[in-house]
Amino acid sequence: MLTLQRLIAELSAYWESEGCLIEQPYDMPMGAGTMHPATFLKVLGPDPWKCAYVQPSRRPADGRYGENPFRLGKHLQLQVVWKPSPDDIQDLYLKSLERLGIVPAEHDIRFEEDNWESPTLGAWGVGWQVVMDGMEITQFTYFQQAGGIDLSPVSAEITYGLERIAMFLGKVDSIYDIHWNETLTYGEVRREDEVESSKFCFETADTEYAQLFFDRHEREGWQTLARGLVRPAYESALACSHQFNILDARGAVSATDRVGMIRRVRDLACACARAYAARWEAAGRPEPAPEPAAAV
Amino acid sequence: MNRQDFLLEIRTEEIPANALSGARMDLARRLETALGESGLAPQATEAYATPRRLAVIARGVPERQEDRFEEVLGPAVSAAYDADGKPTGAAKGFARKQKVDVSELVVVEAARGATVAARRTVAGRAAADVLSELVPRVVTDLSFPKTMRWGQGTRSFVRPVRGVVALLGGAVVPLEVLGVRAGSATSGHRLLSDGPVEISSPAGYASTLKAAHVEVDGEARRIAILEGARDLARQVQGSVESDADLTATLADLVEWPGVVRGSFDPEFLELPEEITTTAMRTHQKYLPVRGSGGLLPHFVAVMDNASDPRGFIAKGNEWVLNARLADARFFYDEDRKQPLEERLPMLAKLAFVDKLGDYRAKSERLAELAPVIARAVGKADLAETAREAGRLSKADLTTHMVREFTDLQGVVGGIYARREGRPEPVCKAIYDQYRPVSSTDDPPREAPGAILSLADRLDTLAGLFSIGLSPTGSKDPYGLRRAAFGAVAIVVSRGWSVDWQPVARTAIGLYPALTGARPADRVLEELGAFLSERLRNLLERRSHPHDEISAVIGVEPWNFADGAERASALAEARRRTDFRALILAAKRIRNILGAEASRAEPDPSLYREEAERALALDFLQAREALSTLAAGRRYRDAMEMAASLAPSLDRFFVDVLVNCPEEDLRRNRLALLASIQREFSRLADFSEIVVEK
Repeated sequence: MLTLQRLIAELSAYWESEGCLIEQPYDMPMGAGTMHPATFLKVLGPDPWKCAYVQPSRRPADGRYGENPFRLGKHLQLQVVWKPSPDDIQDLYLKSLERLGIVPAEHDIRFEEDNWESPTLGAWGVGWQVVMDGMEITQFTYFQQAGGIDLSPVSAEITYGLERIAMFLGKVDSIYDIHWNETLTYGEVRREDEVESSKFCFETADTEYAQLFFDRHEREGWQTLARGLVRPAYESALACSHQFNILDARGAVSATDRVGMIRRVRDLACACARAYAARWEAAGRPEPAPEPAAAV
Repeated sequence: MNRQDFLLEIRTEEIPANALSGARMDLARRLETALGESGLAPQATEAYATPRRLAVIARGVPERQEDRFEEVLGPAVSAAYDADGKPTGAAKGFARKQKVDVSELVVVEAARGATVAARRTVAGRAAADVLSELVPRVVTDLSFPKTMRWGQGTRSFVRPVRGVVALLGGAVVPLEVLGVRAGSATSGHRLLSDGPVEISSPAGYASTLKAAHVEVDGEARRIAILEGARDLARQVQGSVESDADLTATLADLVEWPGVVRGSFDPEFLELPEEITTTAMRTHQKYLPVRGSGGLLPHFVAVMDNASDPRGFIAKGNEWVLNARLADARFFYDEDRKQPLEERLPMLAKLAFVDKLGDYRAKSERLAELAPVIARAVGKADLAETAREAGRLSKADLTTHMVREFTDLQGVVGGIYARREGRPEPVCKAIYDQYRPVSSTDDPPREAPGAILSLADRLDTLAGLFSIGLSPTGSKDPYGLRRAAFGAVAIVVSRGWSVDWQPVARTAIGLYPALTGARPADRVLEELGAFLSERLRNLLERRSHPHDEISAVIGVEPWNFADGAERASALAEARRRTDFRALILAAKRIRNILGAEASRAEPDPSLYREEAERALALDFLQAREALSTLAAGRRYRDAMEMAASLAPSLDRFFVDVLVNCPEEDLRRNRLALLASIQREFSRLADFSEIVVEK
């Protein structure tokens, strides 16, 4: 049986064997693995980067009090970032499935167009969702822009939705029936967290405090950035983003405020990205070398 | 001339299905054009595409370009030779520049007189040489809805290029496309074929790839899918719809199509069918299976694989669909807890367009505008239905179902309204409010839906035009062209002969005074022109030639139904032989009147010639009938009546000198012609019609 923890271990071991650094989950709430500085900041600049990590992704509005079998307020992503994107990245990905015991030729595996955009990060990319036997199991993106900056070289980002893959491989009908390990189910490990978090985000979170938190962190972020501290400033942007998500789940964001608040987070995140990228320019790092022609 | 076939294959990572067929045609067309311009026009081209390759075979490309004879004009003879007939410096310089010996210069007769010229033969280049220059340009010039960069990020294309095959006959053409050198090897199916696939000649391309589990012909893939699906459906006493859009998309998602049948839990058949089939068709791209009594709990899925011996694929798809339907049922039950009425306040949190408020405000405007439209189209009895439908129209945007099944906006509202026991016309109007969803879709089935759809479109157009967000160039982020086209299509199909300008003015006025909003008159002017353009598109789609459209489009620019009526009347009328005379006469009137727009009525006491009296009498008789026919929208008859004036107009122009020396007579004749033109112009501007000489 492929338990959730085996799934994570196998994928991590696979990408490690391909030379990826195994990063750790970031110790702050965030909406997606892309927001981890190991992706958001590291995709900037000319340096090669190969990295994989698990990131819990918090989407308060998706919480369902532990009742809906398909939805979670916090789910797990396994994220791979590879810069510059190698020519055989799709094959590398397919081999990671083989590591999970999947024989690709016995399945239907398709790369269907799915482009990705994050208005809070000023980031977008082009790519696919990987669909196996009708199930979307992975998001595959060539990062074109992050923090409002055109990326060159381009990173490939592979995001495995771990619960989905575990459910699908185990053919269980509820997230909570996933085997986390040989003895405990996902429900036993996580359901209480889902119930309480839903209650908090939908019912009890102090919206005044959340708004204050948002405002103060925004101010702090800009002040920190002014002192040249990029990562701490970016952490403020992450904090703002999470508070915004809580306010949104609480129904405390009006239609007109929404755009403005997202823009405020984006402005800070983009400023962090620019400050980070400026370090290469300051160091006079060369532009990436032109690509050699690949022989066929 | 020896000819050879040329094969070009660009192998990429998966190209989006919606870009594939355009790219396939684009590549073939550009290659054909480029070859033609280089004097290497092929006898035929064949275009192929799969998600992982774009290919074109140019059949019968000449082996080399024809040698070209070139003549370059130089200095005049007088300047080229001195008195002794010796070449001057000018002649020598010219010869040197043209790389011919001065003795080879010839004298030709040019426009400016005797001129020295150099003649030479330029050898044609071999096709392979030309191709190696031309192909990279052709490929980089291809246009796609969206391109991307990869790797070092220095190149851009629809998806990363991974291989190029360029074969002229059996030989590789040395060239490089987007950093990839051409060879003769491609690859087969991603999962069903291993290692490189050697292509020996263009002729063997399709069959060689077939052996490697790639069908390069998209239509063949589509037919295989449809036939396979029909077989599988028959086995469960069912059938699948031919669904050209879905099967074409599926064909563009696979290289080697197979089909597999799956089942879902029959209890999901209790869900509204729209929801079940949307889950299948839109979310999962399955073909639903129908039996004689309705939907069956089966579906056909397409796979990029030949078979499913271990049943993984069928089982996986079944699991996914059951999960989706369970999700849908959860939403369906959950949404029931809050009726549409209670959802209206929640719309305040849903932004419509930045600066234009939220959906609550929009539904309140629609509750005002829809009854105005009902009255405008002579259906005052539907005013209350329209108000209620408008008020509730957007409530479904707050439902779980629409958030998940966005394509079903409106439809879900209609279903829920029915579940709540609301009057059927209101339910149907809500259900149909977004139709027509595309230029090929049908408008709402019944009048209340048509009224609501119109109200929604006019409201959106009025708001966005007011804050200057009208489409520019090819950019139309709010889909306003589609919205306006739908509005015109609804009005035309319903035959709602209405001057829509006051309604549009009402729509503009329903928005609160916006800061930075533009003056209503200005907005109306732009909106009118914009809607007229959509009528033009609609008439083009109905195969009206441009002159017919131009003749009717400006007559009553805000009455689209009449515009369409006039166009079809005109199309019919111009087939009659005596219509030509009318058009010629209308053109003469236009030329003679110029910009002078006399509003004066002609004075019968000033008629001098027999022909002008006759014309005036004929016109007098026709005038009333013309007026009545036009008012009754009987444009065919009216145009026939107009045509009956042509002989007397002809005679008038032959016998009567309009611009005569006597000022009063001249003015009177112009006034007669102007009043005729005025009457005609209520039907169409006949002078716009093109007649063959």
